[in-house]
Amino acid sequence: MTTETLLRRITDYGNRADPYPLYEELRATPVARQEDGTRLVGTYREILHLLHDPRISSDLRNRRHRERAAPDDEDDQGLPPAFLKLDPPAHDRMRRLFMRHFGPPHSPRRVSALGEELPGIITGLVDGLAGRNRIDVVDDFAYPFPVTVICRLLGVPREDEPRFHVWADAVVASIDPGPEENPGERRRAGQQAKAEMGLYMSGLMADRRGSPRDDMLSGLVNDDIADSGVEPVELVTNSVLLFVAGHETTVNLIANGMLTLLRNPEVLADLRAAPAAMPQAVEELLRFEPPVHMLTQRTPLTDVEIAGVVIPEGVPLSLVLASGNRDPQRFTDPDRFDPWRPDNQHLGFGGGVHGCFGAPLARLEAQLALTELIRRLDSPRLAADPPEYRRNPVLRGPRRLLVDFDGMRP
Amino acid sequence: MRLMVDLNRCQGYGQCVFLAPEVFSLHGEEALLYDAAPDEGQIERVRRAAAACPVQAILVEEGPRAGLDTEADRDRA
Repeated sequence: MTTETLLRRITDYGNRADPYPLYEELRATPVARQEDGTRLVGTYREILHLLHDPRISSDLRNRRHRERAAPDDEDDQGLPPAFLKLDPPAHDRMRRLFMRHFGPPHSPRRVSALGEELPGIITGLVDGLAGRNRIDVVDDFAYPFPVTVICRLLGVPREDEPRFHVWADAVVASIDPGPEENPGERRRAGQQAKAEMGLYMSGLMADRRGSPRDDMLSGLVNDDIADSGVEPVELVTNSVLLFVAGHETTVNLIANGMLTLLRNPEVLADLRAAPAAMPQAVEELLRFEPPVHMLTQRTPLTDVEIAGVVIPEGVPLSLVLASGNRDPQRFTDPDRFDPWRPDNQHLGFGGGVHGCFGAPLARLEAQLALTELIRRLDSPRLAADPPEYRRNPVLRGPRRLLVDFDGMRP
Repeated sequence: MRLMVDLNRCQGYGQCVFLAPEVFSLHGEEALLYDAAPDEGQIERVRRAAAACPVQAILVEEGPRAGLDTEADRDRA
């Protein structure tokens, strides 16, 4: 088969359980032109260069119109784009404003303090599974846990979950680059969901204006943004972005993590005996089974040469992070899951100015969740392998992860 | 416990400051400050910070005698 059909084959649901042979094929061609004009890059070194190249835009308005093959490239019902889809300096202004309420130097203890609350949330969820011998790791744990955490962080009421679950599903479906099932319809549904979420988020922010609570929305809405160049409506669109990204990705990190540990029982046993190694194990998971497989929204602002090939100005460019993570030129024995791997500079959180905003929180969530799950489940084993996957090839992970076990340890 | 940050490798990602704010801090938005001999109670957080460093610039030596000349070091020398 030709490299021109790789994107089609990668997005084909039939290949969701194991896209890695396709990535190996991709790495044989440094820049693989696809039928629709999209360029795919899947080698570590080239991805890393492009992530840090200021000539590579994340703003879809820079695409040449006839090649706007992006899944999410139309105006979001008049809403301004979130910083994920902006270039510096507008990106930097907005990201910095959000970082003021999330991390150093202004809020250095926010994540760490939230970390203190995580064990209680995890214990509550795991205790709720007592008496069962089979769980779905996704619906019973990997989804509700990060949802609870992002709600707590931002200040979104957890009991509104039935409403925003539907919206988040629609947003995620709209960024599926697959050609099937009417992408135009999915896009409109995604935009509609974002607009409704925006209204909902504005309401929460209005409640906090002048009467702050201990959450990020309070910090944002009471901050002085007069000189920041950021409009109030942008606080809303970016809060929606963080809210969706804050759980739709972490769910995959935890579910992929349990799946990988159950497929590697010796590693699971080692980690149960020595939980101090879990931070490295999570880094290896981010390399081996990352929650985000590719970045699909890049566009060169000018002709950019990489590995002797010119990527023309204005064409859709996708960086396949999950492929770079398995590049044998960078990682020894890349298809082996090895938490003790030295020099593990994976691409699991992307890199450059758009490097994952929530990475430190995602790491903590995954470390604590996986440590506790393997500590408490007695003799856990997969009821189905491979599991049923979610449709999305970008935010890739199991839809269901059925695990049988003999009982719950205290 | 003793720790060292290779400031030539450090790119200011700040991941360590999120995960162990009592040990690492940012001066302004980029310059990293850190406590080279933190309290043992911070060990879990320091481990997380070291594992999370995207450029692996943090070196941690664990144990009360860490950083002192050990037999193993002398053997290697």
